Amino acid sequence: MLQRFPYRKDATGMRKIWLDSYPEGVPPEIDARAYPSLKDVLERSCLRFREKTAFTNMGVAVTYGELDRLSRDFGAYLQNGFGLRKADRVAIMLPNLLQYPVVLFGALRAGITVVNVNPLYTVNELEHQLADSGATAIVVLENFARTLQLALPHTRVRHVVTTQLGDLFPRRKRWLINFVVKHVKHMVPRWRIPGAKSFREALRQGKQSALEEVSLGPDDIAFLQYTGGTTGRAKGAILTHGNMVANVEQTAAWIGATLKEGEETMITALPLYHVFALTANLLVFLKLGGNDVLITNPRDIAGFVAELTKTRFTAITGVNTLFNALLDAEGFDQVGIAERGVLKLAIAGGMALQRPVAERWRQTMGIPLLEGYGLTEAAPSVCSNPFDAKEFSGKLGLPLPSTEVAIRDDGGNDVPLGETGEICVRGPQVMRGYWNAPDETATAFWPDGWLRTGDIGWMDQRGFVTFTDRRKDVIVVSGFKAYPTEIEDVAMLHPGVKDAGAVGVPDEHSGEVVALFVVRKDPGLTAEALLDHCAKHLTGYKRPKRIEFREHLPKTPIGKVLRRQLKAEATLSRG
Amino acid sequence: MAEYPAHLVRAHRLYDGRIVTVRPIRSGDDVHEREFLNRLSGESRYLRFHKWVNAPSEKLVHFLTDVDYDKHMAFVCTAPDGDAEQVVGEARYVADPNGKNCEFGIIIADPWHKTGIAGLLMEALIRTARERGLATMEGVVLASNATMTRFARALGFEVQSVADDPTTRRIVKKL
Repeated sequence: MLQRFPYRKDATGMRKIWLDSYPEGVPPEIDARAYPSLKDVLERSCLRFREKTAFTNMGVAVTYGELDRLSRDFGAYLQNGFGLRKADRVAIMLPNLLQYPVVLFGALRAGITVVNVNPLYTVNELEHQLADSGATAIVVLENFARTLQLALPHTRVRHVVTTQLGDLFPRRKRWLINFVVKHVKHMVPRWRIPGAKSFREALRQGKQSALEEVSLGPDDIAFLQYTGGTTGRAKGAILTHGNMVANVEQTAAWIGATLKEGEETMITALPLYHVFALTANLLVFLKLGGNDVLITNPRDIAGFVAELTKTRFTAITGVNTLFNALLDAEGFDQVGIAERGVLKLAIAGGMALQRPVAERWRQTMGIPLLEGYGLTEAAPSVCSNPFDAKEFSGKLGLPLPSTEVAIRDDGGNDVPLGETGEICVRGPQVMRGYWNAPDETATAFWPDGWLRTGDIGWMDQRGFVTFTDRRKDVIVVSGFKAYPTEIEDVAMLHPGVKDAGAVGVPDEHSGEVVALFVVRKDPGLTAEALLDHCAKHLTGYKRPKRIEFREHLPKTPIGKVLRRQLKAEATLSRG
Repeated sequence: MAEYPAHLVRAHRLYDGRIVTVRPIRSGDDVHEREFLNRLSGESRYLRFHKWVNAPSEKLVHFLTDVDYDKHMAFVCTAPDGDAEQVVGEARYVADPNGKNCEFGIIIADPWHKTGIAGLLMEALIRTARERGLATMEGVVLASNATMTRFARALGFEVQSVADDPTTRRIVKKL
């Protein structure tokens, strides 16, 4: 059963105490129906900012006018080349490249639902997501085509588009980059997918036909956005065009006062397949007519700092891990000096921001790191600290316009102000439910429509929300959710493992990392062998960073594993 | 080996008309018990053991079926399955060494949720715990398991939060 609860203004009569703490100029409510769909957000910006740069990647710029044309061609190909229709699903398995917005808006303009896929997924993870979403087409970077090839047989995918890293670069740069990636750096494992279409060929053919106008409204599904599932498998949050438009409007209303339309340059180093960068960077700055500078590989910190040295940017988003790495990087203090008076906005999301990182950032860059809070199920932003904050608050912030936050106990009752409970959310950005998972959907909402975040926190008298802990034993690694169930399941597939327990332990870089306790069946099993096994089945962030062998796992008399004790042991034995 | 408490065997008719038997577990139930655990969804196994269990080990099945009917008591709920019977639910307690308090756990086969057998199993378990002179019964429930906390409240358990562990709840009942 899908649940949808239209947002009503103060229907509960509840007083929204946080409104008194809003910075001047931020409205209490936004128009969640400002645009019927994301297609309209795009088309309006393409009209208004036609000559301005929309995206930049490795020094190559694409204007709004070009984005309009390219996405139209690609959308036309999806319709006419593949025969895709409204509500069909297309998966996008790309890092941050110029192809990403072209494919994204091509699909959305054709009325097709987008399924974002982490390009570093293993075969099993990819197979599950493709099969669960029912995607019939996928666009993949050639570097990851081999993984796709192995996953394809058990999915409904019939159409594959492959692209090379430099496909949207000018001819000479394209040839050079594509050659180096393939033949010098050997970054493309051999693959063979019969019938796969090249991205450039798809664009060429799309150009020959017209994009059929599709009528899209707020209730049409824009994304199936996958997030970790408690029972081990990722589940798809159903995010409608209405959800996305609402969150774009909410975020823009919050930060808009500091920004000028058509004049901003945003650094997008977080992956666009993750909902945070998708909304906060790509969609919000699309609406504002900004230039999104796409960083393809932010792990190459030296390359990233070099890019930042060349670029005068006015906004940046990241997670604690990324800001910390930047601040440690050689040459970043020079970026700080060059950015004085230029940088207007720096937002941290996805994971808890650490005070030392926030304070170092402020000293180096001259502006505070704004901490926000959200989750995939809310498209994602729910709370943010005020943009005019003078110092790091350590709090999640205030609920955004047209967003209500309640703190509830296990019975679904509001707790008195200042007391701790589960953070619950209501607003136009909240998802409809999980795709093909009525039970998970039912437990994600209270019967009166409030979304249960699974996070524990409290609200102070000014309306600021503070996070204290999590209700579920999820492990958050640099903003990505890993569930112990999935890791334990994979570990126990190894014939040498008798029992396994995964817990999250604090880590200064990633916030948390996975620690795995193992009871061996085969006394000769080594941590290296088990790590190799995990690497075959789990994406990087889910892989254990530490493996400890035990005689048995701590259990209650009746045989329930004491996770808290495991966690305490893992934290104690650190370092 | 402890004597089988045959006087605790009871047949029940469910609301939907089906007949089930609630009886103390036997060491000969190991095959049934393993099948029962194997048929459970991953989610149900997770909620019972608080960890992912792929296939129950010999040792686990032995622990679950070889009980002394005193410090460790277990009831199964069985339903006819052709000529044989199958286990569709089980509940058990393990008493502290001091014999005052016990920890309990319950699992119901996924297709048998909301049939009333959980209540029948708990009734048998609580009655036996009282007869054995136990003073309190308690359990550990994942905070996300709203079905179980609701069920526990209905049975007269008090739901308490656990210091520095928001992922679990302690449920306690005076016997």
